[in-house]
Amino acid sequence: MADKKVPELPLEMDDPHERALWSALGEHEAGEPSAELRREFYRNLEAASRPSVLDRLQELLGFRGNAGWLTATACLIVGLGTGAIVASGSGTGDERLAVLEENIALLNRNLILDRLENEAPSKRLRGVIDAASVAGDDAEVAHALLERATQDRVGSVRSAAIDALGPNINAPTVGEQLMPLLQQAQSPIVQLALIDLVLRYGNKTQLDEVLALAKGGKLHPDLERYVITTLEGETA
Amino acid sequence: MKAVSDEQLIRWVADGDPSCLATLFERHHRDVYHFFLRMLRHKALSEDLVQEVFLKMLKKASSFRGEGSFRGWMFCIARNAALEHIRKNKRRGDEALDDETLAQLSDERSAEQSAAGREKVDLVMQAIATLPAAMQEVIFLGRFEFDSFEELGQALDCNAGTARVRMHRAMSLLSTTFQSIHGVPIDG
Repeated sequence: MADKKVPELPLEMDDPHERALWSALGEHEAGEPSAELRREFYRNLEAASRPSVLDRLQELLGFRGNAGWLTATACLIVGLGTGAIVASGSGTGDERLAVLEENIALLNRNLILDRLENEAPSKRLRGVIDAASVAGDDAEVAHALLERATQDRVGSVRSAAIDALGPNINAPTVGEQLMPLLQQAQSPIVQLALIDLVLRYGNKTQLDEVLALAKGGKLHPDLERYVITTLEGETA
Repeated sequence: MKAVSDEQLIRWVADGDPSCLATLFERHHRDVYHFFLRMLRHKALSEDLVQEVFLKMLKKASSFRGEGSFRGWMFCIARNAALEHIRKNKRRGDEALDDETLAQLSDERSAEQSAAGREKVDLVMQAIATLPAAMQEVIFLGRFEFDSFEELGQALDCNAGTARVRMHRAMSLLSTTFQSIHGVPIDG
Protein backbone atom coordinates (compact mmCIF):
# COMPACT_ATOMS: atom_id res chain seq x y z
CA MET A 1 0.00 0.00 0.00
CA ALA A 2 1.34 3.43 -0.88
CA ASP A 3 2.55 5.52 2.00
CA LYS A 4 0.05 8.08 3.06
CA LYS A 5 1.31 11.65 3.11
CA VAL A 6 1.47 12.88 6.70
CA PRO A 7 -0.45 16.16 7.02
CA GLU A 8 1.54 19.11 8.29
CA LEU A 9 0.06 21.23 11.01
CA PRO A 10 1.16 24.89 10.66
CA LEU A 11 2.99 24.81 13.97
CA GLU A 12 5.60 27.48 14.69
CA MET A 13 8.15 26.36 17.26
CA ASP A 14 10.97 28.56 18.54
CA ASP A 15 12.60 25.83 20.60
CA PRO A 16 15.04 23.77 18.45
CA HIS A 17 14.58 20.73 20.71
CA GLU A 18 10.85 20.79 20.12
CA ARG A 19 11.42 21.13 16.37
CA ALA A 20 13.73 18.12 16.47
CA LEU A 21 11.21 16.09 18.45
CA TRP A 22 8.48 17.05 15.99
CA SER A 23 10.65 16.05 13.08
CA ALA A 24 11.75 12.76 14.64
CA LEU A 25 8.19 11.85 15.53
CA GLY A 26 7.19 12.31 11.90
CA GLU A 27 9.38 9.34 11.07
CA HIS A 28 7.26 7.00 13.13
CA GLU A 29 5.43 4.40 11.15
CA ALA A 30 2.75 2.36 12.80
CA GLY A 31 2.00 -1.11 11.51
CA GLU A 32 -0.85 -2.16 9.28
CA PRO A 33 -4.01 -3.63 10.78
CA SER A 34 -4.71 -7.32 10.20
CA ALA A 35 -7.03 -8.60 7.45
CA GLU A 36 -9.34 -9.80 10.23
CA LEU A 37 -10.17 -6.20 11.09
CA ARG A 38 -11.76 -5.67 7.69
CA ARG A 39 -13.61 -9.02 7.77
CA GLU A 40 -14.91 -8.35 11.26
CA PHE A 41 -16.06 -4.87 10.25
CA TYR A 42 -18.11 -6.20 7.32
CA ARG A 43 -19.61 -8.90 9.53
CA ASN A 44 -20.62 -6.24 12.06
CA LEU A 45 -21.94 -3.94 9.35
CA GLU A 46 -24.07 -6.70 7.87
CA ALA A 47 -25.45 -7.61 11.30
CA ALA A 48 -26.22 -3.96 12.04
CA SER A 49 -27.90 -3.49 8.63
CA ARG A 50 -30.10 -6.56 8.98
CA PRO A 51 -33.72 -5.66 9.79
CA SER A 52 -34.63 -6.23 13.39
CA VAL A 53 -37.27 -8.73 14.52
CA LEU A 54 -39.71 -5.83 14.91
CA ASP A 55 -39.01 -4.63 11.35
CA ARG A 56 -39.56 -8.12 9.98
CA LEU A 57 -42.78 -8.50 11.96
CA GLN A 58 -44.05 -5.20 10.60
CA GLU A 59 -43.20 -6.31 7.08
CA LEU A 60 -44.88 -9.69 7.58
CA LEU A 61 -48.10 -8.36 9.06
CA GLY A 62 -48.27 -5.26 6.90
CA PHE A 63 -48.19 -2.98 9.95
CA ARG A 64 -46.61 -0.14 8.00
CA GLY A 65 -47.68 3.47 8.29
CA ASN A 66 -50.48 4.93 10.38
CA ALA A 67 -53.21 2.60 9.06
CA GLY A 68 -51.06 -0.42 9.85
CA TRP A 69 -50.43 0.71 13.39
CA LEU A 70 -54.12 1.51 13.92
CA THR A 71 -54.99 -2.02 12.79
CA ALA A 72 -52.35 -3.45 15.09
CA THR A 73 -53.62 -1.38 18.02
CA ALA A 74 -57.24 -2.41 17.39
CA CYS A 75 -56.21 -6.09 17.22
CA LEU A 76 -54.25 -5.70 20.43
CA ILE A 77 -57.18 -4.10 22.26
CA VAL A 78 -59.64 -6.78 21.08
CA GLY A 79 -57.12 -9.48 21.98
CA LEU A 80 -56.47 -8.07 25.42
CA GLY A 81 -60.19 -7.61 26.04
CA THR A 82 -60.97 -11.16 25.03
CA GLY A 83 -58.01 -12.43 27.02
CA ALA A 84 -59.11 -10.50 30.09
CA ILE A 85 -62.62 -11.94 29.87
CA VAL A 86 -61.32 -15.47 29.40
CA ALA A 87 -58.70 -15.11 32.13
CA SER A 88 -61.06 -13.40 34.56
CA GLY A 89 -61.82 -15.55 37.56
CA SER A 90 -65.00 -13.66 38.47
CA GLY A 91 -67.46 -15.81 36.55
CA THR A 92 -68.01 -19.42 35.66
CA GLY A 93 -66.98 -20.88 32.33
CA ASP A 94 -70.54 -20.67 30.98
CA GLU A 95 -70.87 -17.03 31.99
CA ARG A 96 -67.63 -16.11 30.29
CA LEU A 97 -68.74 -17.98 27.18
CA ALA A 98 -72.06 -16.14 27.25
CA VAL A 99 -70.25 -12.79 27.47
CA LEU A 100 -68.10 -13.73 24.52
CA GLU A 101 -71.12 -14.84 22.50
CA GLU A 102 -72.91 -11.62 23.34
CA ASN A 103 -69.92 -9.58 22.19
CA ILE A 104 -69.69 -11.50 18.96
CA ALA A 105 -73.43 -11.09 18.34
CA LEU A 106 -73.13 -7.37 18.97
CA LEU A 107 -70.26 -7.09 16.50
CA ASN A 108 -72.21 -9.14 13.96
CA ARG A 109 -75.30 -6.93 14.38
CA ASN A 110 -73.28 -3.74 13.88
CA LEU A 111 -71.70 -5.24 10.82
CA ILE A 112 -75.12 -6.05 9.34
CA LEU A 113 -76.47 -2.55 10.03
CA ASP A 114 -73.35 -1.01 8.48
CA ARG A 115 -73.74 -3.14 5.39
CA LEU A 116 -77.42 -2.25 5.02
CA GLU A 117 -76.44 1.42 4.95
CA ASN A 118 -73.43 0.96 2.68
CA GLU A 119 -73.06 2.99 -0.50
CA ALA A 120 -72.26 -0.03 -2.63
CA PRO A 121 -75.34 -2.06 -3.74
CA SER A 122 -73.34 -5.29 -3.47
CA LYS A 123 -72.60 -4.55 0.20
CA ARG A 124 -76.26 -3.71 0.88
CA LEU A 125 -77.28 -6.96 -0.80
CA ARG A 126 -74.85 -8.83 1.44
CA GLY A 127 -76.34 -6.99 4.42
CA VAL A 128 -79.85 -8.03 3.38
CA ILE A 129 -78.79 -11.69 3.18
CA ASP A 130 -77.13 -11.54 6.60
CA ALA A 131 -80.10 -9.65 8.13
CA ALA A 132 -82.58 -12.35 7.10
CA SER A 133 -81.47 -14.60 9.94
CA VAL A 134 -81.70 -11.96 12.69
CA ALA A 135 -84.56 -9.64 11.62
CA GLY A 136 -87.13 -11.76 13.49
CA ASP A 137 -85.34 -11.10 16.80
CA ASP A 138 -84.02 -7.60 16.31
CA ALA A 139 -86.35 -4.64 15.76
CA GLU A 140 -83.55 -2.34 14.56
CA VAL A 141 -82.34 -4.79 11.94
CA ALA A 142 -85.98 -5.41 10.91
CA HIS A 143 -86.51 -1.68 10.49
CA ALA A 144 -83.37 -1.33 8.39
CA LEU A 145 -84.47 -4.27 6.28
CA LEU A 146 -87.91 -2.74 5.75
CA GLU A 147 -86.23 0.46 4.60
CA ARG A 148 -84.23 -1.55 2.05
CA ALA A 149 -87.43 -3.25 0.90
CA THR A 150 -89.30 0.01 0.40
CA GLN A 151 -86.68 2.65 -0.38
CA ASP A 152 -83.61 1.11 -1.96
CA ARG A 153 -82.91 2.59 -5.37
CA VAL A 154 -81.76 -0.77 -6.72
CA GLY A 155 -84.49 -3.21 -7.65
CA SER A 156 -82.53 -6.37 -6.85
CA VAL A 157 -81.82 -5.10 -3.32
CA ARG A 158 -85.53 -4.30 -2.77
CA SER A 159 -86.55 -7.76 -4.03
CA ALA A 160 -83.95 -9.45 -1.84
CA ALA A 161 -85.13 -7.46 1.18
CA ILE A 162 -88.77 -8.47 0.61
CA ASP A 163 -87.67 -12.10 0.32
CA ALA A 164 -85.66 -11.72 3.53
CA LEU A 165 -88.62 -10.20 5.40
CA GLY A 166 -91.05 -12.84 4.21
CA PRO A 167 -90.22 -15.63 6.70
CA ASN A 168 -90.18 -13.00 9.49
CA ILE A 169 -93.43 -11.22 8.68
CA ASN A 170 -95.27 -12.80 11.58
CA ALA A 171 -92.55 -11.96 14.05
CA PRO A 172 -93.50 -8.93 16.21
CA THR A 173 -90.31 -7.11 15.24
CA VAL A 174 -91.40 -7.06 11.57
CA GLY A 175 -95.20 -7.31 11.77
CA GLU A 176 -95.60 -4.38 14.14
CA GLN A 177 -93.66 -2.07 11.83
CA LEU A 178 -95.08 -3.30 8.54
CA MET A 179 -98.65 -2.01 8.64
CA PRO A 180 -97.86 1.47 10.04
CA LEU A 181 -95.22 1.79 7.35
CA LEU A 182 -97.71 0.84 4.67
CA GLN A 183 -100.17 3.46 5.90
CA GLN A 184 -97.52 6.16 5.94
CA ALA A 185 -96.00 5.32 2.58
CA GLN A 186 -96.86 7.87 -0.13
CA SER A 187 -94.91 6.34 -2.98
CA PRO A 188 -96.83 3.76 -5.07
CA ILE A 189 -93.59 1.81 -5.51
CA VAL A 190 -93.13 1.55 -1.75
CA GLN A 191 -96.76 0.61 -1.31
CA LEU A 192 -96.41 -2.03 -4.01
CA ALA A 193 -93.34 -3.53 -2.31
CA LEU A 194 -95.08 -3.78 1.05
CA ILE A 195 -98.36 -5.07 -0.38
CA ASP A 196 -96.47 -7.66 -2.37
CA LEU A 197 -94.80 -8.73 0.87
CA VAL A 198 -98.11 -9.03 2.73
CA LEU A 199 -99.85 -10.81 -0.12
CA ARG A 200 -97.05 -13.37 -0.37
CA TYR A 201 -96.23 -13.98 3.28
CA GLY A 202 -98.89 -12.22 5.42
CA ASN A 203 -101.26 -13.89 7.87
CA LYS A 204 -105.05 -13.48 7.86
CA THR A 205 -105.05 -10.40 10.09
CA GLN A 206 -102.50 -8.63 7.93
CA LEU A 207 -104.37 -9.50 4.75
CA ASP A 208 -107.58 -8.10 6.26
CA GLU A 209 -105.79 -4.91 7.22
CA VAL A 210 -104.49 -4.46 3.68
CA LEU A 211 -107.94 -5.03 2.24
CA ALA A 212 -109.37 -2.46 4.64
CA LEU A 213 -106.75 0.07 3.52
CA ALA A 214 -107.61 -0.57 -0.11
CA LYS A 215 -111.32 -0.19 0.44
CA GLY A 216 -110.74 2.92 2.56
CA GLY A 217 -108.97 4.68 -0.31
CA LYS A 218 -105.63 4.79 1.53
CA LEU A 219 -103.66 3.24 -1.35
CA HIS A 220 -102.80 4.24 -4.90
CA PRO A 221 -105.91 3.64 -7.13
CA ASP A 222 -104.15 1.00 -9.24
CA LEU A 223 -102.98 -0.79 -6.10
CA GLU A 224 -106.45 -0.62 -4.58
CA ARG A 225 -107.89 -2.45 -7.55
CA TYR A 226 -105.04 -4.93 -7.51
CA VAL A 227 -105.51 -5.69 -3.78
CA ILE A 228 -109.29 -5.95 -3.96
CA THR A 229 -109.18 -8.12 -7.06
CA THR A 230 -106.53 -10.39 -5.63
CA LEU A 231 -107.98 -10.83 -2.15
CA GLU A 232 -111.71 -10.85 -2.98
CA GLY A 233 -111.06 -13.03 -6.01
CA GLU A 234 -109.36 -15.55 -3.76
CA THR A 235 -112.13 -15.50 -1.22
CA ALA A 236 -114.90 -15.61 -3.84
CA MET B 1 -15.01 11.80 -11.50
CA LYS B 2 -15.12 13.62 -8.20
CA ALA B 3 -15.32 11.32 -5.19
CA VAL B 4 -18.25 11.71 -2.87
CA SER B 5 -17.15 13.63 0.21
CA ASP B 6 -16.91 12.02 3.63
CA GLU B 7 -19.50 14.48 4.89
CA GLN B 8 -22.01 13.45 2.22
CA LEU B 9 -21.39 9.76 2.90
CA ILE B 10 -22.05 10.07 6.62
CA ARG B 11 -25.25 12.00 5.85
CA TRP B 12 -26.38 9.10 3.66
CA VAL B 13 -25.59 6.73 6.52
CA ALA B 14 -27.77 8.90 8.76
CA ASP B 15 -30.53 8.73 6.14
CA GLY B 16 -30.58 4.94 6.41
CA ASP B 17 -27.95 3.68 3.98
CA PRO B 18 -25.38 1.85 6.15
CA SER B 19 -23.49 0.63 3.07
CA CYS B 20 -21.92 4.10 2.78
CA LEU B 21 -20.10 3.40 6.03
CA ALA B 22 -18.05 0.79 4.18
CA THR B 23 -16.57 3.52 1.97
CA LEU B 24 -15.73 5.60 5.01
CA PHE B 25 -14.17 2.56 6.64
CA GLU B 26 -11.97 1.92 3.62
CA ARG B 27 -10.86 5.53 3.56
CA HIS B 28 -10.12 5.99 7.24
CA HIS B 29 -9.78 2.79 9.24
CA ARG B 30 -5.97 2.70 8.93
CA ASP B 31 -5.63 6.21 10.38
CA VAL B 32 -7.93 5.38 13.27
CA TYR B 33 -6.03 2.16 13.88
CA HIS B 34 -2.69 4.00 13.89
CA PHE B 35 -4.04 6.52 16.37
CA PHE B 36 -5.16 3.76 18.74
CA LEU B 37 -1.92 1.82 18.29
CA ARG B 38 0.18 4.85 19.16
CA MET B 39 -2.02 5.72 22.12
CA LEU B 40 -2.52 2.26 23.55
CA ARG B 41 0.41 0.28 22.13
CA HIS B 42 -1.66 -2.86 21.70
CA LYS B 43 -2.60 -4.28 18.31
CA ALA B 44 -5.62 -6.44 19.16
CA LEU B 45 -7.07 -3.80 21.45
CA SER B 46 -6.58 -1.15 18.75
CA GLU B 47 -8.45 -3.29 16.23
CA ASP B 48 -11.30 -3.80 18.70
CA LEU B 49 -11.55 -0.08 19.25
CA VAL B 50 -11.58 0.60 15.50
CA GLN B 51 -14.64 -1.67 15.27
CA GLU B 52 -16.21 0.13 18.18
CA VAL B 53 -15.63 3.55 16.61
CA PHE B 54 -17.16 2.63 13.25
CA LEU B 55 -20.18 0.97 14.83
CA LYS B 56 -20.60 4.04 17.00
CA MET B 57 -20.54 6.17 13.86
CA LEU B 58 -23.30 4.02 12.40
CA LYS B 59 -25.47 4.60 15.46
CA LYS B 60 -24.60 8.27 15.90
CA ALA B 61 -24.49 9.27 12.22
CA SER B 62 -27.42 11.63 12.67
CA SER B 63 -25.44 13.57 15.30
CA PHE B 64 -23.02 14.73 12.56
CA ARG B 65 -24.44 18.14 11.75
CA GLY B 66 -21.92 19.13 9.12
CA GLU B 67 -20.59 22.06 11.12
CA GLY B 68 -17.04 20.69 10.94
CA SER B 69 -15.19 18.03 8.99
CA PHE B 70 -16.01 14.35 9.08
CA ARG B 71 -12.46 13.52 10.16
CA GLY B 72 -12.70 15.92 13.09
CA TRP B 73 -15.95 14.28 14.16
CA MET B 74 -14.56 10.77 13.65
CA PHE B 75 -11.40 11.41 15.67
CA CYS B 76 -13.46 13.00 18.42
CA ILE B 77 -15.28 9.66 18.75
CA ALA B 78 -11.96 7.80 18.54
CA ARG B 79 -10.18 9.84 21.21
CA ASN B 80 -13.15 9.50 23.54
CA ALA B 81 -12.99 5.73 23.05
CA ALA B 82 -9.26 5.73 23.78
CA LEU B 83 -9.60 7.91 26.88
CA GLU B 84 -12.49 5.77 28.12
CA HIS B 85 -10.35 2.67 27.77
CA ILE B 86 -7.42 4.28 29.57
CA ARG B 87 -9.73 5.45 32.35
CA LYS B 88 -11.10 1.95 32.84
CA ASN B 89 -7.64 0.44 32.84
CA LYS B 90 -6.39 2.92 35.41
CA ARG B 91 -9.27 1.90 37.64
CA ARG B 92 -8.16 -1.69 37.28
CA GLY B 93 -4.57 -0.63 37.97
CA ASP B 94 -3.03 -2.28 34.95
CA GLU B 95 -2.00 0.79 33.07
CA ALA B 96 1.65 0.30 32.30
CA LEU B 97 4.09 0.74 29.53
CA ASP B 98 6.68 -2.00 29.41
CA ASP B 99 9.54 -2.97 27.15
CA GLU B 100 7.45 -5.55 25.39
CA THR B 101 4.91 -3.05 24.09
CA LEU B 102 7.68 -0.72 23.02
CA ALA B 103 9.37 -3.57 21.20
CA GLN B 104 6.05 -4.35 19.54
CA LEU B 105 5.84 -0.78 18.32
CA SER B 106 9.37 -0.92 17.00
CA ASP B 107 8.56 -4.06 15.05
CA GLU B 108 5.89 -2.20 13.18
CA ARG B 109 8.31 0.15 11.51
CA SER B 110 9.59 -0.29 8.00
CA ALA B 111 12.86 -2.02 7.39
CA GLU B 112 14.18 0.95 5.43
CA GLN B 113 14.40 3.15 8.46
CA SER B 114 17.95 3.83 9.44
CA ALA B 115 19.28 2.51 12.71
CA ALA B 116 19.89 6.01 13.93
CA GLY B 117 16.44 7.16 12.88
CA ARG B 118 14.82 4.15 14.48
CA GLU B 119 16.63 4.78 17.68
CA LYS B 120 15.55 8.40 17.74
CA VAL B 121 11.92 7.57 17.09
CA ASP B 122 12.02 4.91 19.79
CA LEU B 123 13.33 7.41 22.26
CA VAL B 124 10.66 9.93 21.36
CA MET B 125 7.92 7.33 21.64
CA GLN B 126 9.25 6.26 25.03
CA ALA B 127 9.08 9.84 26.24
CA ILE B 128 5.58 10.36 24.86
CA ALA B 129 4.39 7.19 26.56
CA THR B 130 5.13 8.73 29.95
CA LEU B 131 3.00 11.81 29.27
CA PRO B 132 -0.62 12.07 30.43
CA ALA B 133 -3.10 10.67 27.91
CA ALA B 134 -4.52 14.14 27.25
CA MET B 135 -1.07 15.28 26.09
CA GLN B 136 -0.42 12.17 24.03
CA GLU B 137 -3.64 12.54 22.07
CA VAL B 138 -2.81 16.15 21.18
CA ILE B 139 0.63 15.16 19.92
CA PHE B 140 -0.51 12.14 17.90
CA LEU B 141 -3.54 13.80 16.37
CA GLY B 142 -1.66 17.01 15.64
CA ARG B 143 1.40 15.30 14.20
CA PHE B 144 -0.25 12.63 12.07
CA GLU B 145 -3.89 13.39 11.35
CA PHE B 146 -4.65 17.06 10.80
CA ASP B 147 -3.25 19.99 8.90
CA SER B 148 -5.35 22.70 10.57
CA PHE B 149 -5.99 23.70 14.15
CA GLU B 150 -9.68 24.07 13.35
CA GLU B 151 -9.99 20.36 12.62
CA LEU B 152 -7.69 19.41 15.49
CA GLY B 153 -9.88 21.52 17.77
CA GLN B 154 -12.98 19.71 16.52
CA ALA B 155 -11.40 16.36 17.34
CA LEU B 156 -10.31 17.60 20.76
CA ASP B 157 -13.70 19.17 21.36
CA CYS B 158 -12.32 22.69 21.74
CA ASN B 159 -11.71 25.70 19.51
CA ALA B 160 -8.69 26.22 17.25
CA GLY B 161 -6.97 28.63 19.64
CA THR B 162 -7.23 26.22 22.55
CA ALA B 163 -5.96 23.39 20.34
CA ARG B 164 -2.91 25.49 19.42
CA VAL B 165 -2.18 26.26 23.07
CA ARG B 166 -2.58 22.60 24.04
CA MET B 167 -0.23 21.55 21.28
CA HIS B 168 2.48 23.99 22.40
CA ARG B 169 2.15 22.84 26.00
CA ALA B 170 2.33 19.20 25.01
CA MET B 171 5.47 19.73 22.91
CA SER B 172 7.08 21.73 25.67
CA LEU B 173 6.34 18.99 28.19
CA LEU B 174 7.61 16.36 25.77
CA SER B 175 10.90 18.24 25.39
CA THR B 176 11.37 18.45 29.14
CA THR B 177 10.36 14.83 29.66
CA PHE B 178 12.68 13.59 26.92
CA GLN B 179 15.62 15.31 28.53
CA SER B 180 14.78 14.07 32.01
CA ILE B 181 14.34 10.46 30.84
CA HIS B 182 17.31 10.21 28.50
CA GLY B 183 19.61 12.70 30.18
CA VAL B 184 20.17 14.81 27.05
CA PRO B 185 18.03 16.73 24.60
CA ILE B 186 17.03 14.91 21.43
CA ASP B 187 19.69 16.63 19.38
CA GLY B 188 22.19 16.80 22.18
